[in-house]
Amino acid sequence: MSGEGKTESVKRTAIATEAMTHLDHLYRVALHLAKGPADADDLVQETFVRALAAHEQFDPGTNMKAWLTKILYNFFFDHYRRNKRWLAAEDGVQPEFEHWQHPADLNSGPESHVLRKELDDQIVQGLSKIPEEFRAPIVLVDIGDFSYGEVAAILSCPIGTIRSRLSRGRKLMQQYLKAYMGDEEKNSG
Amino acid sequence: MTCDETQEIITGLLDGELLDAERASLESHLEECPDCRLAVEQERRVKRALHASAERVRAPSALRDRILSDRRIFPEQNRRRWQDYLWPKPRLALPALAVGLILTVALPAFFLLKPKSEPIASAALKTYRLFTRGELSVQRAENPNELVEQLTRAVGGHFHPMGYDLTAMQLRPVAGLVRDIQGRHILIAIYQGRGGTLFCYTFFGSEEDAPVDAAKFFDPVKKINFYAFSQDGLNAVLHREGEIICILASEMPMENLLALAKSKARPS
Repeated sequence: MSGEGKTESVKRTAIATEAMTHLDHLYRVALHLAKGPADADDLVQETFVRALAAHEQFDPGTNMKAWLTKILYNFFFDHYRRNKRWLAAEDGVQPEFEHWQHPADLNSGPESHVLRKELDDQIVQGLSKIPEEFRAPIVLVDIGDFSYGEVAAILSCPIGTIRSRLSRGRKLMQQYLKAYMGDEEKNSG
Repeated sequence: MTCDETQEIITGLLDGELLDAERASLESHLEECPDCRLAVEQERRVKRALHASAERVRAPSALRDRILSDRRIFPEQNRRRWQDYLWPKPRLALPALAVGLILTVALPAFFLLKPKSEPIASAALKTYRLFTRGELSVQRAENPNELVEQLTRAVGGHFHPMGYDLTAMQLRPVAGLVRDIQGRHILIAIYQGRGGTLFCYTFFGSEEDAPVDAAKFFDPVKKINFYAFSQDGLNAVLHREGEIICILASEMPMENLLALAKSKARPS
């Protein structure tokens, strides 16, 4: 391998390694887009493949999490939507998400564990029922911790649109979770 | 400002995305309007529940393995490097082969005779699981300063634990201990709270104390290397401040732990 080839290979490996630190985040986003865990796995793996194929476009020191998320969304919109492997509100899908971890908390008993699991299930179902245009900003802001500016860049739409869709989306989630929010408050208090 | 107009502005408020002027008019409206104050609280609860629920999601280990073994993502570099370096240079092939044969015999003998020791970082991390199983004896302390003082005293004042303030992550120091591992004193500060459990290990060492398979990240701003690694379902990030090594270990996602270590590390 030439010196240039070696440098390229080192750079590529560094990007792949850093990308692995965002695996949980990408998986969370993918779970709320794909129809089920198997499709979410494929979506995340393909995101990694595409990111590494385009690794020269990544500028080290910039926001890798946002870069990877944009690749995931672009792939999702181009491919998954076309092949109907995305989660549509009208599907009313209730996927089995077995990847929620409920680590034993020293201060919580089995009852709060069950309540938290129930709330998690309701959140998954609630998100699956709201239209995708409202779901995407919620997933990126509330789950992905992105700023409006970053979400606007990922979804290629104005910041004002992000805020209004987020507001509508949270209202829909609020209605959906109404019966459970009291438990959440007690549980987290 | 009417109540209808406030709805989106409330969203911006909760996300810290308001301009000063928007914030001022919203705050003045909220002072007079109990309905909108309730709306703020309700939306905050939804946001908090969504975030907390997502924090409990981890990528399945099968997916992690699939990605790590996907040669489009991680090419098989070691074999290629060996072939690239040796075989294109035939004059080096025979001597290299001879050295290789000698090493094949000598290295196993060397390692069989040498006492085995695991990397100090890996050995230290085992205390986390001991603690969660209640098998680790620790010094409890209500006051963080008292804890730092106790730990520093335990190593004769030669160094002190990294006194990180993690209250923003709803973690506070609750206990500590000193552990002797491979002849070195390791100070362990234990943080707990609604943010979970986090161990902070402090000891004299070098970056060579990071496991060989740790992923290395360089922070160009602080000019510090960070080494991320996982062990037994636990994520850990090691960095060096002068002669002191700090390892943060937690079950929180690696990106969060790495971001935390990067934000707290102090350039030496």
